[in-house]
Amino acid sequence: MSDEAEDRFDTIISWALKIGVVVSLCLIVAGTMIVFIHNGSNGFSLNTLSNMDSNTAVNSSEIHLLDIASGVASLSGMYIIALGLWVLIFTPISVVAISFVNFTYGKNRLYMFMSAIVLFNLFLAMIFIT
Amino acid sequence: MSALAILLNFISIVVAGIFAGLLGSLTGLGGGTVLVPVLTLFYGIPIIFAVGASLISTIATSAGSASAYTKQRIANIKIGVGLEVATTTGAIIGTLTFAYVNANKMQWSIYVIFGSVLLFSLFPTIKKTLMEVPPDIPADWTTKLFQLTGSYFDAKLKKIVNYKGVRWWAGEIVMFFAGFISGLLGIGSGALKVMGMDWAMNLPMKVTTTTSNFMIGITAATGSSIYWRLGYIQPFLAAATAIGVVIGSYFGAKILVRISNGDIRWIFFGILSFLGVEMILRGLYLNHIISTPPLIQFAISLAVSAMMIGSSYIVVRMERRRIIHVR
Repeated sequence: MSDEAEDRFDTIISWALKIGVVVSLCLIVAGTMIVFIHNGSNGFSLNTLSNMDSNTAVNSSEIHLLDIASGVASLSGMYIIALGLWVLIFTPISVVAISFVNFTYGKNRLYMFMSAIVLFNLFLAMIFIT
Repeated sequence: MSALAILLNFISIVVAGIFAGLLGSLTGLGGGTVLVPVLTLFYGIPIIFAVGASLISTIATSAGSASAYTKQRIANIKIGVGLEVATTTGAIIGTLTFAYVNANKMQWSIYVIFGSVLLFSLFPTIKKTLMEVPPDIPADWTTKLFQLTGSYFDAKLKKIVNYKGVRWWAGEIVMFFAGFISGLLGIGSGALKVMGMDWAMNLPMKVTTTTSNFMIGITAATGSSIYWRLGYIQPFLAAATAIGVVIGSYFGAKILVRISNGDIRWIFFGILSFLGVEMILRGLYLNHIISTPPLIQFAISLAVSAMMIGSSYIVVRMERRRIIHVR
């Protein structure tokens, strides 16, 4: 790969990481503010949401990925936080995806194959394993 | 609790996150290494939520600082992605092991493993305070096949450093364990990643720490997805720690390019050795193996870590003097 192409690749990745973190942080901050303003979210009081007891706390298993879109549309603070956290999880995944495209474009078969395995592991973790 | 008290609690967790993010990005070890002990020992948060919040926040530490390093072209993305094959596989197995430990009420063992991993991470860190650029060793068959070469501009040495990695397979083996530990303890396990690239592959420290920082996010994303489904992420807590570590890692990355490798490790060593001893003692206390009250545990940890830092400092100083004398 030429130096110029490599430079462009590094810049794209740097931007993808930056945008991912900024968007995620904005969503998390906005969601938190809404939770505090509404004194809770999704029928849970602020007290319940901030409870950290391992048996009774509100945790991520109660927030289903498919409900996030409708939750965000109804401006639910908790779902906006959840969306922010998922944007965070997707940020490094997008970088691997960009690398995959870059290696494919640069005809680097070995690294194309390796980035495909990494993507496979990431999606395996997200969808199949519980 | 009143809304104001909850808000103050939230802010104090954000502050813990800033502290963790700062140290995490300065060292390339990730914010979780500091965050988990701080949340469990000082905030009394159950280890499953501390580990969950830590792992997801680690992505922010990694992404925040990696964005700066990739722009400066110090981090080697190609080498990083290649090694991620092993770390993501390790992370999946580590996360499932953590779920097994929780289901069997063996959380105390996580404290002990955490503390031990922390203390063992420190040895390679201390040893490396003596070297900026690794010794030049001949390329092997993996150098060419896996394209392990690169260069970067070192602002402190004021020159372009060309490097070549070796023993790719050894790097992959270490990375598998790094991924496993990341999933098991909710940390970036940057220490092991650094060890893999530095000790096994002979890459320069700057490339190692920055590439490790970039890789941590990908490993943590794998573990976080599984943690989410298992319910180990408490959104309120994760929101606070994520905000904190983003701020901390942002400033950490700004500071890193200005200070030498040696300085970074000394700050880190002091704080981490304390947290490591404290975690081991707390784990043993929770399983009733020892019955020392928490305040005494605190004092013991302080004394042991002071002794460790003190003696290591003297050894490193003597070694430095010897190197200068030989020259």
